[in-house]
Amino acid sequence: MPERDVTLNNEVGLHARPAAVFSKAAAGFTSSVTVTKSGAEANAKSVLSVLKLDVQKGDTVTIRAEGPDEEQALTDLVSLVEKL
Amino acid sequence: MTTIEGIAASPGTCIAPAVVLVNDQIDLPSGPVGQRDLEVASLEESLEAAAQELEHHSSESSGELAEVLEAQAMMARDPELLEAARKAIQDDGTPAPTAIVNAAETFAEALAASESEYMAARATDVRDVAKRIARKLLGSPEVDLAHLQRPSVVVARDVSPADVARLDFEVVKGFVTEEGSRTSHTAIVARSFGVPAVVAAAGVVAAVDEGVVVGVDGDAGVVHVDPDDAIIEELESRSERRARAQQELASADVAHSHTSDGYEVELAANVGSLKELESALQMGARAVGLLRTELVFFERTEAPTVEEHTELLMAMASLLDGGRLVVRTFDFGADKPMPFLRVEGSSDSALGVRGIRLARAQPELLEAQLRAVATVADSGASIAVMAPMVATIEEVDWFVDRARECGVVDAGAELGVMVEIPSAVFLAAELAARLDFLSLGTNDLAQYLHAADRREGSLAALQDPFGPALLRAVGAVCRAAGGRAWVGVCGEAAADPAWALTAMGLGVTELSMGAGSLADVHAAIGGTTIENCRTVAQRVILAEDASAARSIARELVA
Repeated sequence: MPERDVTLNNEVGLHARPAAVFSKAAAGFTSSVTVTKSGAEANAKSVLSVLKLDVQKGDTVTIRAEGPDEEQALTDLVSLVEKL
Repeated sequence: MTTIEGIAASPGTCIAPAVVLVNDQIDLPSGPVGQRDLEVASLEESLEAAAQELEHHSSESSGELAEVLEAQAMMARDPELLEAARKAIQDDGTPAPTAIVNAAETFAEALAASESEYMAARATDVRDVAKRIARKLLGSPEVDLAHLQRPSVVVARDVSPADVARLDFEVVKGFVTEEGSRTSHTAIVARSFGVPAVVAAAGVVAAVDEGVVVGVDGDAGVVHVDPDDAIIEELESRSERRARAQQELASADVAHSHTSDGYEVELAANVGSLKELESALQMGARAVGLLRTELVFFERTEAPTVEEHTELLMAMASLLDGGRLVVRTFDFGADKPMPFLRVEGSSDSALGVRGIRLARAQPELLEAQLRAVATVADSGASIAVMAPMVATIEEVDWFVDRARECGVVDAGAELGVMVEIPSAVFLAAELAARLDFLSLGTNDLAQYLHAADRREGSLAALQDPFGPALLRAVGAVCRAAGGRAWVGVCGEAAADPAWALTAMGLGVTELSMGAGSLADVHAAIGGTTIENCRTVAQRVILAEDASAARSIARELVA
């Protein structure tokens, strides 16, 4: 199962619109996708779970994908987070 | 009769029978249920139906309300929320309505534990969504706000964004809520549709029975329950006076108001969407003094194209039919991050890379807007464009150069900037020499003058539009502009008639505000002379504190 670490450089981390944009994008893939911050894991397709992680600016998270489109999911979501 | 005091959230007065919303009381069944698979299936169905409804409401709303509804629709489709509820149904036989409310509560508590105001608001949202679904499952009748038959005052603990979006403002004459603040959804919507509202009226739900006549005084922030004849008469006469002023404004050919001695002032509306402009026109607006372009494109993941900007501005210009449209270029801040912004953030949103600073980092965003303005100006429409958050003369020169390159100047559009950073107040003479107009953004100017975050409730006193430093800044900008550039105001302050007349006395010639306040300001202008405004304004700016300044300014509207 491929995974990548990515650091949030935008002002609000994974809150507000960025959280919604991220979860919506994750929901578009067949693969299951998770985001992990300091041991706590969230379903990337669930905006409530992503919000609960409370990812702030400067935090590093690990994104993992597993399924038929896992490589594509990982590439797209990492580049989305980098652009947030 | 009883009188309950609250916060004045939207101006105007009305009298009508109450419709009391008691949406938050649901009797949740305890179970266990028999056919658990069927229970799960009906939950899934209700979640999807709720998500679709919320999306529909979102598409018919704009700005902040649309955003909240969209977020709620996503919550209704949240896989983890469904999973938690499904597990309770399958494992314990919990009935679906109870399961969804409990699942939402778990998330809400986790979100509310964070100290941010934003997360607390999302906790309310997820609870709101779950209640909505539970009511659906239980078949409990929702008060059908969309089909209220007769004029009513809506009385509630709070009104959810979804309910607000369904309201028919032909019959909803006023709002009273037990909770909320001047910035809650109810207040924002009431102001943009010109309906009087009082929020934070403690005990009002218990004090008002369905059908009892309620008087709403949205100017003073007072609710009269079962008022006596004297109060009914007073509220009615104020509401008639307001309606007359509104009508007079609506039937006027131009966007100008005149003092009794013939001095002309332009009145305009602040808008953030085409829909908001349509409703502003119905309230008498004939010009737009502030189009918040970032709100129009809030839902976007990609930068809008020149064509999209052009289409929007053309549609607005044609609705305005000759009335001036002042377009403010994107004012995204860190509080409104957009996926198409590439700017490295800085530590403080209000003091960071935003406004024209962002435009310099990503000039293609600004250029698309400027080219659209040039096209609309070419078509003969009256249009102006201004840049937000200007701090230096060099930034203004850069902006003017870009505008010239994009054909804005040749096409005859007016050029201006927002004056909202204190440095721009000191440079106003130089700015006026380079531009057609300066527009004072009083909310941000007050925040930066006093180094007081406007979102910080405990510092609200430093946002007072009658603060002496703010008033003197307005006076200084008008003096420095010296007639070379016209000076407008597009902050909340302009909506207060006494403040507006003071600003006119200081030299402001354009006032832009939420459309709901236009009629009041128009009536106040007609009731005084410019000489009187000037004389009183000179005394107002010598006042040493906001309350003294306010009471002197009130003489102008007495």
